[in-house]
Amino acid sequence: MIRTEELLLNVGPQHPSTHGVFRIIVKLDGEVITEAIPVMGYLHRGTEKLAEDLNFTQIIPYTDRMDYVSAMTNNYVLCHAVETMMGLEIPERAEFMRLIVMELQRVASHLVWWGTYLLDIGAMSPFLYAFRDREIIIDLFNELCGARLTYNYMRVGGVKWDAPEGWLDKVRDFIPYMEKKLDEYNNLVGGNEIFLARIKGIGKYDAQTAIDYGLSGANLRCTGVDWDLRKAEPYSLYNRFEFDVPLGKTGDCYDRYLIRLEELRQSLRILKQALEQMPSSGEVMGKVPRVIRPPAGEVYVRIESPRGEIGCHIVSKGKAEPYRLKFRRPSFVNLQILPKLLVGETMTNLITILGGIDIVVGEVDA
Amino acid sequence: MKGLLKGLGVTFKAMTAKKITTSYPDVPFVMPDRFRGIQHFEPDKCIVCNQCARICPTECITLTGKANPDPEKKGKVIDTYDINFEICILCDLCTEVCPTEAIVMTNNFELASYSRDDLFKDREWLDSNNHNVRKDNNNIGAPAAAKGGAK
Amino acid sequence: MGAWLDESLTWGNALIFFLWGVILLTIVLGFVTYAIYFERKVIGWMQLRIGPNRVGPLGLLQTVADIFKLLIKEDTIPRKADRVLFILAPALAYVPAFAVLAVIPYTQDLYFADINVGLLYYVALSGISTIAIVIGGWASNNKYALLGGMRSAAQMISYEVPLVISVVGVVMMTGSLNLRLIGEHQGNWFWEWNFLPQIIGFVVFIIAAVSELNRTPFDLPEAESELVAGYHVEYSGFRFAFFMLTEYVYVYAIAALTTVLFLGGWHPPAPFLDFVPGIVWFLLKFSCIVFFLFWLRATMPRIRVDQLMGFGWKVLLPLAILNVFITALYLELFIKG
Repeated sequence: MIRTEELLLNVGPQHPSTHGVFRIIVKLDGEVITEAIPVMGYLHRGTEKLAEDLNFTQIIPYTDRMDYVSAMTNNYVLCHAVETMMGLEIPERAEFMRLIVMELQRVASHLVWWGTYLLDIGAMSPFLYAFRDREIIIDLFNELCGARLTYNYMRVGGVKWDAPEGWLDKVRDFIPYMEKKLDEYNNLVGGNEIFLARIKGIGKYDAQTAIDYGLSGANLRCTGVDWDLRKAEPYSLYNRFEFDVPLGKTGDCYDRYLIRLEELRQSLRILKQALEQMPSSGEVMGKVPRVIRPPAGEVYVRIESPRGEIGCHIVSKGKAEPYRLKFRRPSFVNLQILPKLLVGETMTNLITILGGIDIVVGEVDA
Repeated sequence: MKGLLKGLGVTFKAMTAKKITTSYPDVPFVMPDRFRGIQHFEPDKCIVCNQCARICPTECITLTGKANPDPEKKGKVIDTYDINFEICILCDLCTEVCPTEAIVMTNNFELASYSRDDLFKDREWLDSNNHNVRKDNNNIGAPAAAKGGAK
Repeated sequence: MGAWLDESLTWGNALIFFLWGVILLTIVLGFVTYAIYFERKVIGWMQLRIGPNRVGPLGLLQTVADIFKLLIKEDTIPRKADRVLFILAPALAYVPAFAVLAVIPYTQDLYFADINVGLLYYVALSGISTIAIVIGGWASNNKYALLGGMRSAAQMISYEVPLVISVVGVVMMTGSLNLRLIGEHQGNWFWEWNFLPQIIGFVVFIIAAVSELNRTPFDLPEAESELVAGYHVEYSGFRFAFFMLTEYVYVYAIAALTTVLFLGGWHPPAPFLDFVPGIVWFLLKFSCIVFFLFWLRATMPRIRVDQLMGFGWKVLLPLAILNVFITALYLELFIKG
């Protein structure tokens, strides 16, 4: 008999495809994984603890740094929680601005995912194509709020800036451009047999498993569960728009890929309607007391971030700082299914599955 | 096979497409007016209200005031004003709360340096950082009361 | 060239051969330098970038600077590595890569060795590089390198077979393993080249060749997103450069081999274009193949290891064998009969 050994392979924290400093220890039998142990916390900054010493305006820049690929939705969930607690009324134009930037952010975030996913699978060019188009959104945000990644755009009660001259027209021009580019993406890899063979049937799970693990976003919808908070529990102004929630059937990486690409189109559709319905002028900041002091009590709000259901739980004792602040971070929750999915897969599929879940390590570790 | 060929077609077409890279260090990168770069500080305007230091989420601003040298006038004038750019996150909150626009954002963003010491900027440096100053400091979003200044 | 090869070996002749070897080595190194430059440029253009443009005019000296950087880098050998094998591997990879170039004819008269089993010699020697990669992966004492080395061994073995069988058709049509005769046998019209009558063989050969080169979409041994850098993850400095060099010399060799075997070598695509020297035609076809390899790299995702094996054994090998039978039938029925 040949004496064989298990190979204990340490993937990350420095590894090209773990999307940051995520680490996973895998036991390999040949190239087949027998056990996978994720190790988190390399990017832990203690956001929730830090927040206990900060007032609510100061926490907003910290939320930017959780899911840094989609900072606008993080801004929104915090502001939304505080506003719900204080019963504040948001001017309509401000709410429209928020919605537009959130949907643009969803497009930008899914583009990053698309590019990096293809990069994980070995295709180099899609990454640069995606970043070309994301750059347009980033430039729009830069013009709007003066930062390219950590926007700090929203405030409790509204938004910091109104759209500058001509900004909304630029967004309007972006929509048909992006629709054309989505067709180009589809030509580039959508029919690529190698790519399809890599992701079809990989990382499968059924609806019950997904619900048991608390998955959300595309990771849940790929199993056919119709759960998008924009439809299920409309927040902001989402009940004013028509859009579809793309659903999958098989729950594999291919379905997640298709869902995210379709979500890009739906986001553009929402943007188009939002630009039409938007009031041409108005306040972007509601009436907010000088010091934001939510009444004592608790609140939990949740919204649909590009990665899934992001929630914010505030416990207030009536002070300017939260007594306890907890974020339900979709990347963190979605990641929990990884060890289950990886057993029996090959080393190559590890990357495919991890990329398909779409994590942002800043959000996993917060 | 068709999918592969389609993909090859897209990349082939891209060969002649417009290139999107810029020659950044050679050609300066022009930021829009609202860009939040390194702050510019005008000591003459400062009324030492401490609001910027208090709102700063990372506590990177330290300032001290002294009594006004002109005995006729009341109040304080600024003595030292330092921003530590090792931890400053350029979140714009200090300029948002400043009642007199003594601290404003500029469009300059090049902070890279070989020493951490260089990132500690004092009052003189921030004062001399006076080009590309942001024009539009109209803080629509800031709480109305914050514009009134320290009371 | 041919005249010298037939003379008996004297000191003078040996010196001439040696000089020719040096010249060829220089040419190949020049090719590698600018192939890397060209690759980066082409991929840059395809990715909406400009590519290297800082060192020298149009960035022409970029690769020179890179090689210089690798030269002056510290030579690190991991403490737990198998020292002898670790040092041996890059050299062992490079030597066969250069040695196979000997049998490639460039024109009717310009060739360096006229061996009657030239093709066999090529295939046999290029197999040695696989061993070098496995040794390199093993000696590094690194798990990623080991996985990369093992993948490489599996891949090279499974693709060597269809590669060899796919050219059997060409050999049968020519009746010789001599690369010069294979080149000569093809006609002056482009439909007289081997790639049309041997279209199955040609396609199988191209796929297997890309796989032999470890290039995208078959770059599994160094799959960056999974194995970091695969077998050369522990190599740095000039040892790493040797692996890179091997890879690009094989690009040269495979491109030249494809040109000779399937694309008519030095023959023009039509007889009236005869006034252009053969070497120009050779270089043109050669460049097209090199460009095609770079183009693939800019577009394709990476195939998975089990799919790669399945594809090699279940699709390419039967196709290659089918091609042999079809060729044999054709020759038996129409040419001999």
